Amino acid sequence: MMKGLLGRAGRRYLRQHPWLLGLSVLGVALGVAVVVGIDLANGSARRAFERSAETVTGRATHQIIGATGRGLDEALYGRLRREWGVREAAPVVEGYVTGADGRPFQVLGVDPFAEAPFRPYVARGLDPGAFMARPGTVLMAASAAARRGLAPGDTFAVRAEGVRHTLTVAGLLTTDGAPDAEALSGLLVADVGTAQELLGRVGRLSRIDLRVPGGPAGEALLARLTAALPGGVTVARSATRTRTVAQMSRAFEVNLTALSLLALVVGMFLIYNTMTFSVVQRRPLIGRLRALGVTRREVFFMVLGEALLIGGAGTVVGGLLGLVLGNGLVHLVTRTINDLYYVVTVRQLVLTPVILLKGIGLGVGATVLAALAPAREATAAPAAAVLQRSQEESRMRRRAPALALTGLGLGALGAASLAWAGQGLVQSYLALFAVLMAFALLTPAAVVGMARGLTPVMGRAFGLPGRMAARGLTAALSRTGVAVAALMIALAATIGVGVMVDSFRQTVSVWLGYALQADVYVQPPSLVVRQGDAWLRPEVVRRLIQTPGVAAAYSVRRVTVAAPDGPAQLVAIDAGPRTAAAFRFKQGKPAAAWAAFDDGSTVLVSEPYAFRHHLDVGDTLRLQSDRGLRAFVVRGVYYDYASDQGVVLMSRATYERYYDDRERSGLALYAEPGVEVPVLVERLRARVAGLQSVFIRSNRALRDASLEVFDRTFTVTVVLRLLAVLVAFVGVMSALMALQLEQARTVAVLRANGMTPGQVGGLVTLQTGLMGLVAGVLSMPLGLALAFLLIHVINRRSFGWTMQMDLSPGVPAQALLLALVAALLAGLYPAWRMARAHPARALREP
Amino acid sequence: MVPQPPLSPPAEVQLRGVSRVFREGLHTRIVLDAVDLTLAPGTFVALIGRSGSGKSTLLNLISGLDRPTSGEVVVGGVNLTQRTERERTLFRRRHVGFVFQAFNLIPTLTVAENVRLPLELNGRPAEAARAVAHEALAAVDLADRADSFPDRLSGGEQQRVAIARALVHRPRLLLADEPTGNLDYETGRQVMDLLHRLVRQTGTTMLVVTHDRDFLEVSDRVLTLRQGRLAEGLDEPTPER
Repeated sequence: MMKGLLGRAGRRYLRQHPWLLGLSVLGVALGVAVVVGIDLANGSARRAFERSAETVTGRATHQIIGATGRGLDEALYGRLRREWGVREAAPVVEGYVTGADGRPFQVLGVDPFAEAPFRPYVARGLDPGAFMARPGTVLMAASAAARRGLAPGDTFAVRAEGVRHTLTVAGLLTTDGAPDAEALSGLLVADVGTAQELLGRVGRLSRIDLRVPGGPAGEALLARLTAALPGGVTVARSATRTRTVAQMSRAFEVNLTALSLLALVVGMFLIYNTMTFSVVQRRPLIGRLRALGVTRREVFFMVLGEALLIGGAGTVVGGLLGLVLGNGLVHLVTRTINDLYYVVTVRQLVLTPVILLKGIGLGVGATVLAALAPAREATAAPAAAVLQRSQEESRMRRRAPALALTGLGLGALGAASLAWAGQGLVQSYLALFAVLMAFALLTPAAVVGMARGLTPVMGRAFGLPGRMAARGLTAALSRTGVAVAALMIALAATIGVGVMVDSFRQTVSVWLGYALQADVYVQPPSLVVRQGDAWLRPEVVRRLIQTPGVAAAYSVRRVTVAAPDGPAQLVAIDAGPRTAAAFRFKQGKPAAAWAAFDDGSTVLVSEPYAFRHHLDVGDTLRLQSDRGLRAFVVRGVYYDYASDQGVVLMSRATYERYYDDRERSGLALYAEPGVEVPVLVERLRARVAGLQSVFIRSNRALRDASLEVFDRTFTVTVVLRLLAVLVAFVGVMSALMALQLEQARTVAVLRANGMTPGQVGGLVTLQTGLMGLVAGVLSMPLGLALAFLLIHVINRRSFGWTMQMDLSPGVPAQALLLALVAALLAGLYPAWRMARAHPARALREP
Repeated sequence: MVPQPPLSPPAEVQLRGVSRVFREGLHTRIVLDAVDLTLAPGTFVALIGRSGSGKSTLLNLISGLDRPTSGEVVVGGVNLTQRTERERTLFRRRHVGFVFQAFNLIPTLTVAENVRLPLELNGRPAEAARAVAHEALAAVDLADRADSFPDRLSGGEQQRVAIARALVHRPRLLLADEPTGNLDYETGRQVMDLLHRLVRQTGTTMLVVTHDRDFLEVSDRVLTLRQGRLAEGLDEPTPER
């Protein structure tokens, strides 16, 4: 920060223009707020997941896991301790239940006597006798119990996979630091038997935790175990498993972060705009200062100092706004993670130093970066010379073609790096930002060209004011160019993301249209909408299939299975006569694939799975099974938009051959001819009432529910788009305020010549409308380019989905309308100010 | 809407007890103190006074750009002090022309368009306006620069355009604020001659704030503003420049 008179002169200038100062600070603040908000939401969700994972993993180094998410036979634990002499082992049954308030609890079923080395907090304050003797008792975090007004001995209700249970609080979990109270608060600790009962997994364990010492002894133990364990059962490092789960939502997080950076880029334009303006306005003053002996260096730092002031203030305000925004966004983010990936509950925002530093770095850094060019420009002011503004602007106009050429070069570079970037998501985003910048650099030339073309048209329509408005765009190019660029980028982002979401939705809608062939679908409730190993009770399945009016029933089984390169979602189906119609192949011959479907070695994989694991038709895929590691041949790759992790599809016959699991995750039912579907749905619901609360939905209802989840996923995107437009709006407004200051004298002359305040207001409005129009028109090609990149590059590299680009004319039309409305709204206040300005005062100023 | 002056007014400009007080922080500054003034139609009047004596303020009040703190301003029989802002603007548009020291041309309009501006604001059809503007430019000898933008012109040329703009719509009253103040002696002399000639030709009433002795020689009356009071004649031994 500059000290002394020079710094004071700069600060006074900012103080004298509070609106400009305020808008600049707001621009930085909004940019920082979006980045901090998204980081907070992402970071808090991840931290919550990690902490709950750490809490349940405890000090285990390794875990014995089964081939599928169904886990292990509990007899294995006994053999482990007795036959193989492994002492530091603890059985675990894990799952989720829902409390009366709808929030999930993580259930941890343990053996209290084996716990001490793994999860000391469980052993503390535990009365094993009371805990194990009575079924349906659990330990609950003291904080969670207090929140619900529960004390030891009290009972409360939960639902597990649609079945209601009553649990008794046997004791309270307390903490002495690790894990912290927050991590414990969503946990219910039960005896293994209680947890099995509760989660419907009698006789099964989710895993067995181990503490394996380091060094040769440990390695020997692991080798011994690996040899002795039955087929399909493996030992894995605890940390690796946690990481694999957390990795699932990475692409989602990266995409959110990139969108938040977009708002900051628009904010940077705003700062650049303000700083350039403040320099140009003060060129005569700077010239006089230089004549008084102020060095170029001092001028440079004076401007940079002001930028720091703006950046600092914007960062502070933005940080606070970010906290508020993060608080709102975290719900949207966790809902999406819960819908798509894994169960996580965030009870508090985690503001880490990294988020804080990133916010400060971006806020202050972006401001200083944006101010560098204007600061350098300021040093070029010749001493004592008063440069004509028109000379300055014609210099800018001369520079426009060179800027456009640079833009073209940058665009080409971006396109080339997109072609060669391989599958890197970060490189893809860098290239995308290069394309954005390329268009921004092209803007001044485009504004000049369009203004030139529009001048006669505007002249004919509005007379001299029309012509003045059009020429004003070029005459103040250094100002209007940046404002138009900022608005254009925000609009293009809106178009790009809008077209992408529309295309995606349309693609999903078409897919649902053919993928859902049956009349009625039955699913157990699951906390993760598109995943999970939830299952239907056998009695429920039997009753539903035998319901009068059901012509045919096909089952589906969804399980997570272990595979050499991470867990995979396996779906086993009964193939019926209409099954083939529910799948469209991207690769492979459907007839041959379905003919071989039951042969015991055939699998089909969904497009994202093939993408993630680099699989083609004819390749071999290995999965853990209850018979050990088995190889399957990929006979087809089909389109599927249910999971971005991808799915392996096999026939029920093949599944039963390799897995000792006879449960069903869902049913697809066909109605007999003449039976009304709504009537059948009601009949089916009545048949299973009281057994297990399951979702019984018509084809139509399931499709609607799926699209609802889809729309929920993109709520965050909508919020971010709106914020980017808001930042651009502030940008246009500050550019107009800047213009208003500069044009005060021109306006005064017009007023002296008899232009009414209304006409002056009209002139300003025409000019802002024109800026909106130019930005709107320019945003179309960029928006479509962005949409293309998002759909065919970013989305493919993030999730591996093929989407049909859906170009409804509505999106560009909306963007154009938005451009005009935003620009006109932003122009309202400046127009009012200009119209109201005192012409006598403006004329008096030198 | 537009207040039309009576056909043969007794006086073109009449100021009765006009005061203008500015508030500066806690203090007030009296710039004009109970000024009375009558200008007959078609007279050429020079106004002199030291810097800060209130000359520009007086012009602003006569043009209706500003309102007096007390007193009345009547131009062409219309009492501007009783008119709304909009009415004063429409009156100014029709009946007043302005020439400034700093030329004040609109940078985004060409020379011809600057001259056409008052005509267009007064609702003249475009074709007619074009012809009249061309004549006005020819009168100031700048017809060949019609399509140039103001920043391509020299100071003298810009001021000639400003004069053409001020007179193109045949105003009753021309107000000029140091029109030669930014020009060298020779150019200033030419501009003054031009103004004088055109004003005499058209019978326009003119009030010019000036320090230029040459103006004093050709004016019908000279007024001096001193400490907010107006006096007839050259009140000071020598003008500042």
